[in-house]
Amino acid sequence: MTDAASLSAPEAARRSLVGWLLVLSLPLLMAVMELSVYAVEPRVLSLRNIVNVLDQASYAFVFASAQMMVILTRGFDLSLGTSVSTVSVASALAMTGLVAAGAPDALVVAAGLIAGLGVGALVGLFNGGFVAGLGINPFVVTLGSLNICLGLSTTISGGGPVFNVPDVFSRLFYNGKLMPGVSIPIMIAVLIGLGLYFLLNHTTFGRSLYIIGNNPRAARVAGLPSRRYLMFAYLACSLLAAFGGLMLTARTGSGEPNLGGSLMLESIAAAVIGGVSLQGGVGGVGAVVFGALFVTMLSNSMDLLEVGGYVQQILLGCVIIIAIFLDRLRQTRA
Amino acid sequence: MTHIVDRRGAGAVSQRALRGYARVGFLPTVLIVLVVAMALFVPRFLSVQNVFNVLRSSSYLVILSAGQMLVLIVGGFDLSVGAVVPLASVVSAMTMVWAGGAVPGQTGLIIALGVLAGLGSGLLVGLLNGLCVAFLKVSAFIVTLGSMSIATGMALLLTNGIPVYGMPKAFVSGFGRGLWFQLPTAVYLAALVVAAVWFIQNFTKMGRYLYAIGGNLHAATVSGVRTKTYLVLAYAVCSILAAVTGLALTAEIGSGQAVINGQLTLESIAAAVIAGVSLKGGVGRVEMVTLAALFLLILTNAMDLLRIDPRIQTIFLGLIVVLAVAIEEMGKRRTPVD
Amino acid sequence: MTFADPVQAGVSRAAQAARDSGPLLRLTGVSKRFPGVLALSHVDFDLRRGEVHVLFGENGAGKSTLINIIAGTYPPDEGEFVYQGETIGRLTPHTARELGISPVFQEFSLVPELTVEQNLFLGRELTRAGVLDRAAMRAKAREVIDLLGFDLTPGRKVRDLSRAHQQMVEIAKAFLADVRLLILDEPTASLTEAEAGKLFDLVSKLKAKGVGIIYVSHRMREIKQIADRITVLRDGRKITTVEAADVSENDLVELMTGRKIDVLFPHIEARPGEKLLEVEGLTLVNRTVTDVSFYARAGEITGVAGLVGCGKSELVRAVYGLELIESGEVRLGGEIVAHPSPAGLLKRGLCYFPSDRVAEGLALGRPVRENASMTALDLPAFARAGILRRGGERRAVQSIADRLKLRPPHIERAVANFSGGNRQKVLLARGLTRDINVYLFDEPTVGIDVGAKTEVYALMKDILATGAAIVLVSSELPEVLHLSHRVYVMHRSRIVAELTGADINEQEALPHFFREHDAEPGR
Repeated sequence: MTDAASLSAPEAARRSLVGWLLVLSLPLLMAVMELSVYAVEPRVLSLRNIVNVLDQASYAFVFASAQMMVILTRGFDLSLGTSVSTVSVASALAMTGLVAAGAPDALVVAAGLIAGLGVGALVGLFNGGFVAGLGINPFVVTLGSLNICLGLSTTISGGGPVFNVPDVFSRLFYNGKLMPGVSIPIMIAVLIGLGLYFLLNHTTFGRSLYIIGNNPRAARVAGLPSRRYLMFAYLACSLLAAFGGLMLTARTGSGEPNLGGSLMLESIAAAVIGGVSLQGGVGGVGAVVFGALFVTMLSNSMDLLEVGGYVQQILLGCVIIIAIFLDRLRQTRA
Repeated sequence: MTHIVDRRGAGAVSQRALRGYARVGFLPTVLIVLVVAMALFVPRFLSVQNVFNVLRSSSYLVILSAGQMLVLIVGGFDLSVGAVVPLASVVSAMTMVWAGGAVPGQTGLIIALGVLAGLGSGLLVGLLNGLCVAFLKVSAFIVTLGSMSIATGMALLLTNGIPVYGMPKAFVSGFGRGLWFQLPTAVYLAALVVAAVWFIQNFTKMGRYLYAIGGNLHAATVSGVRTKTYLVLAYAVCSILAAVTGLALTAEIGSGQAVINGQLTLESIAAAVIAGVSLKGGVGRVEMVTLAALFLLILTNAMDLLRIDPRIQTIFLGLIVVLAVAIEEMGKRRTPVD
Repeated sequence: MTFADPVQAGVSRAAQAARDSGPLLRLTGVSKRFPGVLALSHVDFDLRRGEVHVLFGENGAGKSTLINIIAGTYPPDEGEFVYQGETIGRLTPHTARELGISPVFQEFSLVPELTVEQNLFLGRELTRAGVLDRAAMRAKAREVIDLLGFDLTPGRKVRDLSRAHQQMVEIAKAFLADVRLLILDEPTASLTEAEAGKLFDLVSKLKAKGVGIIYVSHRMREIKQIADRITVLRDGRKITTVEAADVSENDLVELMTGRKIDVLFPHIEARPGEKLLEVEGLTLVNRTVTDVSFYARAGEITGVAGLVGCGKSELVRAVYGLELIESGEVRLGGEIVAHPSPAGLLKRGLCYFPSDRVAEGLALGRPVRENASMTALDLPAFARAGILRRGGERRAVQSIADRLKLRPPHIERAVANFSGGNRQKVLLARGLTRDINVYLFDEPTVGIDVGAKTEVYALMKDILATGAAIVLVSSELPEVLHLSHRVYVMHRSRIVAELTGADINEQEALPHFFREHDAEPGR
C-alpha cells in the first residue's frame, strides 16, 4: 500500500479548502456575529465594550483552561463550579477571620490564597485519586465531588454570603492599577495562558497529556507514567479553577456559596466550542482563548440587543450542539 | 471451558444461589439492613405518613432513573432529563389552563390534552437528543447538555418563572394527591413503568437490541440490527419517562413549575450507577435501578429523621455514589491495562 | 416443535436459486479506500453455486475488506456487485442477511454480555405476537448446536467462553440462517481437528446443495482438502484466480508474497551469546499462560509459534508488564525483574512492539515525532527536568526515520496519515531512540505490504548484529519458521515443544498446533 494515501491534486485542494474553512469557522463566526450586531447596536464595538468583553472573557478563559486540562485526557470535571463556591467561601472565611483578629494585610491575603488553593488541591486529589488511582469513571467521581463541595460550601458558610472580604484582596486580584488600560484579570489570564502554553508544548507532562488522551493504552504500553500524569491533570484543573474562584471572590468582595452555579456547564461549553475534543488529545491554549471569547461575546451581544435571559439560555444550547457538530466534521476531515 | 452446569446436584443449587447473589450484589442487603435498623431505632420511620412520603418521592426517581438506565445501556448519557421534567410540567399545566378556557367542563378532555402536550414536549427533546447522537454522531454528553439548556430556557420563557395554576381538580386531588387502595397513585405509576421496562428488557427485541448496541455496536450492526433506530428510541423513551415524572410531580404540586429540584438529573444517574448500570453500556436491569432509587430516598429520609443537616446529607450522598462504583470496580479488576 | 433443519431450509431455497444460470456472485472492479490506505484496488471476483472458493493472501492483502464488502459491513467506493443476477446498490448487513449471505468473521461479532443463544438470534429473534419466543429459540439453538456437534451451552454468557467456543458461536450463527452464500474467515483457527472435521462435513453438504462458500484460510492442508478455486490477493490487488487442482503449495506462497521464499526471508546468521531474557514457571492470573519457561539469547531470534489465542502474545505481554502475573519469574540479564512494568523494562533495555498498532501501539492523531520519542522521554537527550528538548528530539527522530526509510519522510505529520508498513516503522523507531538489547516483536508484519516486510526483516538482521536478543511471536508460520533460530510452540497456554536446527519446519511444528482438547491435562 505504498503511497496509497496520496490524493489527486484537485481533490486535495478541495479538501484543504473545506478543512481551512472548518478551522477558521469559529473566528469567522465571531467576526460575522460582531459585525451584524454592530449594524443594529454600534456600542458593541466601542472601546469600553471591548475592554468589558475581554475582562469577562478572562474569567471564562481561566475556567475553560482548567476544564481543558482534564478534557485532554478524555475526562471532565463536573465539580468545577461547586468547588469554586467552596474555594470562595473558604478563602473569604479565612480572610475575614484574620482581619477580625487584627492580622496584617500580607498575612490575610496569604491565608486567603492558602485556604482557596488548599481546597482546590484537595478536590483535585480526590478526583485524581479516584480517576487515576482506581480507574473510576470521571463522570461518577466528579459527580460525587460536585455534591460533596455543594454540601461543604453551604455548610461552612451557613448558607449565606461571607461579607467583608478585605479591599486589599480585591485590589490585588480585581481592581488594582498595575498597568494603565489593562485590567488585572486580563493580565492574570495572559500569564496563565503563557504558562499553560509552555506546560502543554514544552514539558513531558504536557506532551504526555496529549498522548494519554489520544490513546491511553498506547501511552501505557510506551511506559509513560499515565496514572501520575492523570493525577496531575486533575490537580491542575482544580487548582486553576480555585484560582479562578479567588479572582471571582475578589471581584464580588464576598465569599459566595452559589458563586459557581453555572460555571461547570459554561467551562465545558467554552472549551468544547473552542475545539477541545471530548474524545481527548485535541486542544490547546488557542482553542480555549477562542472558546472563552466566543461564549463571552455571544452573551455580551445578546445583552446589548436586550435578548432575554431565557432566550439566551436556549440559544446557548443550540450553539453548543452546532459547535460540537462542527468539531466532529473537523475531526473526520483531519 | 467444557464445564456444564449440573442441574441435579445439591451442590449446584447452592452454587447457583451464590452466583445469583453475586449477580444481584450487595444492594438488597444494604437496603434491608437500613430499613430494619431504622424501624428498630426510629419508630416514626414506619408511620403511615412517612412511608407515604418515601414511596411517593421514590416513585418519581424510579420512573426517571428507569429512563436514564435505557440511555446508559446503549452507551449514552442524558443530562437533559432534569430539564424535561419542568418543561413537561409547564407545558401540560399551560395546555390544561388553555383547554379549560376553550372547552370548559370537559375535564377528561382537558386532562388528556394536557398529558399529551406534556409527553409531546418530552418526545421532542428525546428525538433531538437521539437524532443528534445516532445520525450526527455527536457526543451524548454535549448534545444533552445543549438540550438541557434549551429545555430549561423554554420552560422559563413560557412562564417567566411564575408557577402555572388552574389545572382541573380531578388531576390534582384525584390523581396527584390521591390514594388508590391506600397507596399514593404515583406508586402505581412507577410500578407500571417498571413492569413495562422489565418486560421490554426481557421479552422484546428492543430490549435485546439495546443491550447489544451498548455491549458491542459493531456486532449489533453486522448482525443486522437497525442500531440508529434503536438509539433514537432509547433517547425518546428516556425523555418521555422524564415527561411522565414531570406530569406526576405537577399533579402533586398542583401547579406547573419551571423550576423543579435541580438535582434530578444527577440523582437519576446516581441511582442507575449504584444499581450497577455500566457507564460503558450494555449492562443494567430495571429491578436493580428500582432498588437503588428506593435506597437513595430511604437513606435521605433516614437522615432527615435523624435530623442530619441537609447540607451534610449532600456530602454524604456524593461519597456514597463514588464509593459504590469504586467497590464494584475493584471487584471486577482483572488486568493491569485499564 | 417442528423446525426445519437449517441446512435443509437453506438448501431448498438455494436449490431453487441454482436453477438460475450464471454465478451466484460477481464483483467487478471493486475498490475500497480507508483513511491513508487503499485496501482494495479494482478487484474482480466471482463465486459459483456449490463451490468452495478460497481467498488466499497475507494479512492485510485485502481479504477481510473483500468479505466485509460482500457481507454489507461497508459499501465499496467503486465497482459493481451482482448477486443472483441482480445488481445490488446499497447493501447493508441487514439486507445481506435477508439475501442469504451469512458471514463468519474472524474478529467475532458477538456481544459479550449476552448469552450464546441471544447472540445466535441477534437481529432475527423469533417472536410470537411481538413477544420473544424464548422456548422456540432455545429449541432451535440446541438443534443447530447439535447439528454442528459443538460443545456449547445456550444459556452461558459469551463473555465467559474461551476463544474456541466463541468461534463456535460465530459459526453456529451463520448456520442458523437460511444460507445461500456462506463466508468463513479462518473458521478453524481455534478449533480442534475433530471439530474442524465436522465443519468440513457440513461445508461439503452445503456445497452439494448449491450453496456458494467463500473460505479464507492460510492453511495449505485445509485448502488442498476443500478448495475448488483459489483467488490470491496481494496488497489490495487480485493477483490471479486458479483451479485448486492446478497449483502446488510453493506456487501459492510465491503468488501470495510476490517473491521466492528465500528472497523474502533474508538469511540471518545466528551467533548465540548469553541468555539475556529468562522466564521460569510463568503463570498468569487469567491462565492464558500456564507454567511456561523459556529463554532468549543474544544474537539469536527466538520464535514463538502457535494458534491464535494459544497464549503466545500474552506471554510476551506479561514479560513487559501488561498482564497480571500469578506466579513465576522473569530474569533480565540474570537479574530478577520483581514487578515488570513498561517504564521499568524500557529502562533496563527491553522493548515490546504490540501487534495491534492502532489500539495500543500508536497515538494516531499525534505526529510521528511524538510517537517515536514516546518511550524515551525520560532520557536527558529528549527532556531535562521535565522540559522537552524539541530541537534535539526532532533531529534524533528525523535521522531514525531516514534510516528506516519512512515514506513520506515527514515526521511532523500525524501517524494516521501513514500506511500500515510505515506505521510499523514509526513503532519500531522506538527501539532505536534508546538502548535496547531485548526486542519483543508481537506479530510484526500484520497488515503491512511485502516491501515493508522485507524492510522489517532487514531491520531485525541489523539489530541482531549488534548483539541484541529478539523474541518473535507470529501467527504467520512461514515467517516464524524461516527467521527463527529456535522455535517454541505454544498450545492452550503452555509451551508444548521446542524446535531447533533442522527440526524447524512445518512437518515438525504443525502436529503441536493441533492437539485434541482432551489431551490437555487438568481438563
